[in-house]
Amino acid sequence: MEHAAIEFIDLQYGDVLALLAIGFVGGLVSGFIGSGGAFVLTPAMMSMGVPGVVAVASNLCHKFPKALVGAYQRNKFGHVDVKLGLVMAASAAIGVWLGADIQHQIKENFGEPGSNLYVSLAFVVVLTIVGGFVLHDAVTVYRSGKSDEQERVSRLARWVQSVEIPGTMMHFRTANVRVSVLFTLPLGFATGLLASIIAVGGFIGVPGMMYVLGAPGLIATATELVIAFVMGFGGTIKYALHGLVDIRLALILLAGSLFGIQLGVIGTTYVKPFMIKVVMAAIMLIVAVSRGLVVPVYLTELGRLDLAPRTMAWLHTASFAFLVLALCTGGIIILASMLRGHRAGAMPLK
Amino acid sequence: MIRREANGVERSKPYPQLIASGIASSSLYLLLYLYEREILSAFTRTDSWYPALPVVAAFVFSFAHGVFTACFWEVLGVKGRKK
Repeated sequence: MEHAAIEFIDLQYGDVLALLAIGFVGGLVSGFIGSGGAFVLTPAMMSMGVPGVVAVASNLCHKFPKALVGAYQRNKFGHVDVKLGLVMAASAAIGVWLGADIQHQIKENFGEPGSNLYVSLAFVVVLTIVGGFVLHDAVTVYRSGKSDEQERVSRLARWVQSVEIPGTMMHFRTANVRVSVLFTLPLGFATGLLASIIAVGGFIGVPGMMYVLGAPGLIATATELVIAFVMGFGGTIKYALHGLVDIRLALILLAGSLFGIQLGVIGTTYVKPFMIKVVMAAIMLIVAVSRGLVVPVYLTELGRLDLAPRTMAWLHTASFAFLVLALCTGGIIILASMLRGHRAGAMPLK
Repeated sequence: MIRREANGVERSKPYPQLIASGIASSSLYLLLYLYEREILSAFTRTDSWYPALPVVAAFVFSFAHGVFTACFWEVLGVKGRKK
């Protein structure tokens, strides 16, 4: 019998309650926007004393069954394009593999602080650009007074759909998109690359499917769950082969997140399409602030800045608080939108 | 208990499924609580087919608990709207 040399923590009741609560809100956000939660769950587990690699492994082990349940439920409402999800997931796997390799190289050359700085800068740059774009789009739709109408396909997506490359064209029926696979490959690859760096590939995958391929937001967020399932499943096997999955953490997270994801899925049927973009943009931009706060800490650890230890500790705390704020903001917007949808007279309560 | 849907169709709430899946789900979590050490020890072994255990457990729990949570919201009357 071979055991990994890893210390698994003694779980306290407070830890269990915290995991259930974070799992619930993470599930709620995942059911609604297809991803999210991972950026809080991993640091939250680490703050309980769970080693980083075990936190990542346990997070992945709760992610794939959660994504499976979410995709199954959203498929009932006709939101999932399984073919698009599988095509994206295939190239995402290559992105994950290369991303892990890049991470390894950076860690070898610049150590732990260099690796942390790379991850934080990737968060800040990608989330600020993509989140800002998504927010701008959501505000434009809201101001146009056409928030009830079907989303308009972006100019870029119209061009992508117009490009005919013989032998590479694929039709994705649910998304109602016909594009060359040469466009989906780099998109899936970028999703996997981001997933391996910041653990939330959906922050590229969902906007990519919406703005590059022209898939509606509802379809893109649901299809992202298929990608999350495939990547989470593969990641779990990889970590399980090294005995790194703390099944207790994974299953406790799952207990909360399955309540949340069912509610998030129901929420998508009550809100206007642009609300999905609002939630996604809000989470992305708050997370960008969170990661931006720790950049000076890592620069200090690399000897490029000179911050007092107390200031560094404060920045770490503020950063984690912003991560929790991002998740809670997403959860509150979703629940408020659902209530508004219910008051608008649609929710069959009896 | 009977509830009327938006299209006028009357359906009973899924209390039997809620109870059955609730018992299944809580039994699984009770086993996890009672045999925490033994389960953790077996699930972190890397020889033979032991690495498959976390994956199998995740599927089994997600099925039992997934049915329970779906019935839970339905019994509360929180249901998705088919467009």
